[in-house]
Amino acid sequence: MSVRATDHGTIEMEGSCGAEDAEALLRHLLSLPGAVVDWRLCDRAHTAVIQVLLASKAQTLGPPRGEWLQRFIDDTMKASATRP
Amino acid sequence: MDDFIEQFLVEARELVVQATEDLLALEQDPGQAERLDSAFRAFHTLKGAAGIVDFDAMGRVLHAGEDLLAAVRAGGETLTPAATGRLLACLDQVVQWLDAMQASGDVPEGADAAADAVLARFEAGREQGFPNTGAANDDWVAQLVAEHVGIAGAAATALRYTPQPDSFFRGEDPLARIEALPGVAAVSLGPRSSWAALEAFDPFTCQIVITALSTAPVAEVRAALHDLGAQVDLEELRPAVLQGPGRGGLSAEAVAVLREQMAMLGQSQAEDVGGRIGSAAAVSINVLRHAGLGEAQARLEAALERSREEADPGMLVAAIRAELDGPLETAPEPSDQSASVPQDLQAQTLRVDVEKIDAVVRLAGELIVLKNALGHTTGLALEGTAPADVAARLKEQHALLERLAGELQRSMLEIRVLPMRHVFQRFPRLVRDMSVKLDKPINLVVEGDATEADKAVVESLFEPLLHVLRNALDHGVEPAALRAERRKPAVATIRLNAAREGETVVIRVEDDGGGVDVARVRQVAEARGVATAEALAAMSDEEAVDLIFAPGFSTAQTVTSLSGRGVGMDAVRSAVERLGGRVRIGSRAGQGTIVRFVLPFTVMITRVMTVEAGGQVFGIPFEAVRETVRFPRERIIAIGAAKAFVLRNRTIPVVDLARTLDLPASQDEPADAILVVASLGDGVGAVEVERLGERMVVMLKPVEGLLAGMPGIGGTTLLGDGRVMLVLDLEELLR
Repeated sequence: MSVRATDHGTIEMEGSCGAEDAEALLRHLLSLPGAVVDWRLCDRAHTAVIQVLLASKAQTLGPPRGEWLQRFIDDTMKASATRP
Repeated sequence: MDDFIEQFLVEARELVVQATEDLLALEQDPGQAERLDSAFRAFHTLKGAAGIVDFDAMGRVLHAGEDLLAAVRAGGETLTPAATGRLLACLDQVVQWLDAMQASGDVPEGADAAADAVLARFEAGREQGFPNTGAANDDWVAQLVAEHVGIAGAAATALRYTPQPDSFFRGEDPLARIEALPGVAAVSLGPRSSWAALEAFDPFTCQIVITALSTAPVAEVRAALHDLGAQVDLEELRPAVLQGPGRGGLSAEAVAVLREQMAMLGQSQAEDVGGRIGSAAAVSINVLRHAGLGEAQARLEAALERSREEADPGMLVAAIRAELDGPLETAPEPSDQSASVPQDLQAQTLRVDVEKIDAVVRLAGELIVLKNALGHTTGLALEGTAPADVAARLKEQHALLERLAGELQRSMLEIRVLPMRHVFQRFPRLVRDMSVKLDKPINLVVEGDATEADKAVVESLFEPLLHVLRNALDHGVEPAALRAERRKPAVATIRLNAAREGETVVIRVEDDGGGVDVARVRQVAEARGVATAEALAAMSDEEAVDLIFAPGFSTAQTVTSLSGRGVGMDAVRSAVERLGGRVRIGSRAGQGTIVRFVLPFTVMITRVMTVEAGGQVFGIPFEAVRETVRFPRERIIAIGAAKAFVLRNRTIPVVDLARTLDLPASQDEPADAILVVASLGDGVGAVEVERLGERMVVMLKPVEGLLAGMPGIGGTTLLGDGRVMLVLDLEELLR
C-alpha cells in the first residue's frame, strides 16, 4: 500500500503510487477532511492520483522525492491547495 | 468503402443528431445540465472519432465547439442564441463533410479552408464580445505562457493534452506521456471543466487537462504524441510562423509578452476594465515600438481608442491577436440551402433490434424443418402411399407453411420500420432557422415521434412535412403586431404529431396562426383559373380551402424566400398520394390551421377487394372503397358523355370498368348494376363491375415492364393460382 492514513491524522504517499491508489487516497481524504498529504517519500504518482490531489485542494507536505514530480508538479499542487 | 469509415459515418451522424437535439433543447431551457453534458459529450466524442480517422480539420472545428461548451459547463459563459448558432454551424459543416466522405469514401479535400471559415466565426463572435470560452479554455496558450513567463521565451511548443475520460481504464497514464516528452520546460494542470465536490468525485474518470511547454520543436512533440490524435493540441511558439508582411522580427520574448497581455485582458470581467485596457495596451505598444513595427503600433493604438470608448477589452485582444496571427478572414454566412435543408434522407443503413433479426432466424429454421418434412411427404407419394394419407400430410404442411410465411412477412416488415423520429428530429433545427429568418418566435411541439411506419413512408415524408411547416410559419403564423392585436401569445405554437391508427399512420401539423383566408383563396383560385366562378360559388368553405392543394396555387401575397413560388401544396399532395396516402387541410379563421396526413403503415402490404369485369379479376385498394351497392340500372343517368347516379342526395359519377379498360363487356346486363363507391382525393366516384370477389391481403409490386405506362394500374400481385392480378388506381381511372 503506497497511500496510507497515519495515526496523527495525515495521509502519506510513498514510493510509486499507481492508478489503483487513487481510490484509497480519495477515501482517506473523505474520512479525514482537511488532512495534510505528506508526499515527501513519493517517487512517482499516476495521473489518477494527481487528479484526486488536485480536486481535493488538499495541502501537501513536500517536496516529493521523485525528481519529475518535484520539478513540474509540486508548484501546481501548492498553488491549488486552498486549506492552510 | 472502408468498414472503418462506414462505421465512423454512422456514428458521427448519430452524434450530430444528438448534439443538435441537445443544443435546441438548451435553447428552450438553458438550465438543463444533463442536456449540456450530453451536447458536450457528443462534441467530444465526435472530435475523438475525427482523430481516429485522421480528419484534423474536423477535429479542430469540433474542438472549438467543445471549448465553448466546456466554458458554459464551467459556468463561465451563457449559451446565447449567437453562440448556439455558431455551434450549429459547426455541426452543419461536419454534416457536409460526412456527406462528402459518404460519396468519396475518404476525408474530403479542402476541409482545412472550410474549418478555418467556421473557426473564424467563433473568433468573430469572441471579438464582438459574444460569450467566449474564457481565458481558461480558449486562450490556453496565452494562459500557459503567462503562468510561466520566465520559461516561455525559451519554449518552442505549447501543448494541451485533454485525455479521454476513460483513459485510466485503458491503462493510460497521461502524465507519464508528458514526462516522456522531449524538452519539457513547464507543466500546468487543471480540470476539464471544474473539479466536482470530493464526495461526488469519480477517481476512475480522467478529468484532467494537461498543458505544457517544451523546448523541442512542434514536429518532434507531435511525433511523440502522434497516437493521441485530437486529444492533443499543439501550438508553435517561435515567431517564425508569425512572420507575415510587416510582422516579422517579433522575438519570442515579445510574443510571450503580447500573449500575456491578451491573457490579462481575457480574464474574468473584473472591475477596472479601463485600467486593464490601458496598461495592456501600453505594454503591447511598447513591445511593437521596440520591434520597430510602426504600422502595427498604429493599428494597436486605434484599437485601444475603440476599446476605451466601449470599455470592452475584446477589440484590443483582437488587435493583438491580429498582430500575432495575421488578420482573420470573416466567414461568409453559410448559404440557406446548405444550412437549412439536409439533402440526403435515405437511411443507408438500418439499425435493427437484435430480437427482430432473431425472430427471422428462428423462422428460417422452422422453414427448413418444413422443407425436410415436405421432402418426406414427396417420398411417401412416390412410394405409392395412399393418396388420402399423402393429402392429409400435405394439408397439414400447407397450414404450417401458411403460418410461417405470414410470420416471416410480418417479421420482415417489422425490420423495415423506422420511427418518425428519423424525419421529425430534423425539424426543430429547421424551424429554428426559419423562425429566426422570419422573426416569428415559434415553439415547435413534436409528439409521437416514436410512431413507426415503413422505411419508405417515413423517408418520403420529409419534404412534404417541411413544406407544410414552412407554410405554417410563413403564411399561418401572423406577424407579431397582428398576434398582439388578436391577444395571442407572442410565441406561436406549431404542433407536429404522429399517431398510429389501425393500418394507417396519421400525422398532423397544427398551428395557432390566422387560419386560411377562405375569401382570398376563392379570389386567387378564380384569378389563376384553378376553378371557375360558378364552381367556386357552389363550393363550401371546406372545399374551397382544399383548393390550395390544386396545381398552380399560392396565396402568399409576397413570395418569400422560404415558401418558394408556385410549386406549393400540390407537390405535397402528389407526394403523399404516391405513397398511397391522403392529405387534408382544415382551418378556422383567426384560430389556426391543421394539415392532416393519413398514410399507410407500409407501402408493401395492401388490402384489396377483388372484382370481376370483362372476364378478368382486378383488385381495388380496400382503403379507397366506401361501400358497394346494387343499383337499378334505369336510375343511372347519362350526363353528356358520362354517367352518374344519385345516392343519398349526392350525385356520383360512374364508369364501367370493362369499357374503360377496353375489355369485352359481358353480354347480359342484369337489372341491377353492381357499383363500387370509392373515395377519391377530393370527391367520390363509382365503378361498375360484373361481380364482387373477396377481400385479400396482398404484397403489392410496382408496375414494371410493358404495363408501366398503362394508366389506372396501381400495381400487381400474384394470385394463388399463379395468375397476375392488376390492382387498380381508381383515382387515375376516374379522372
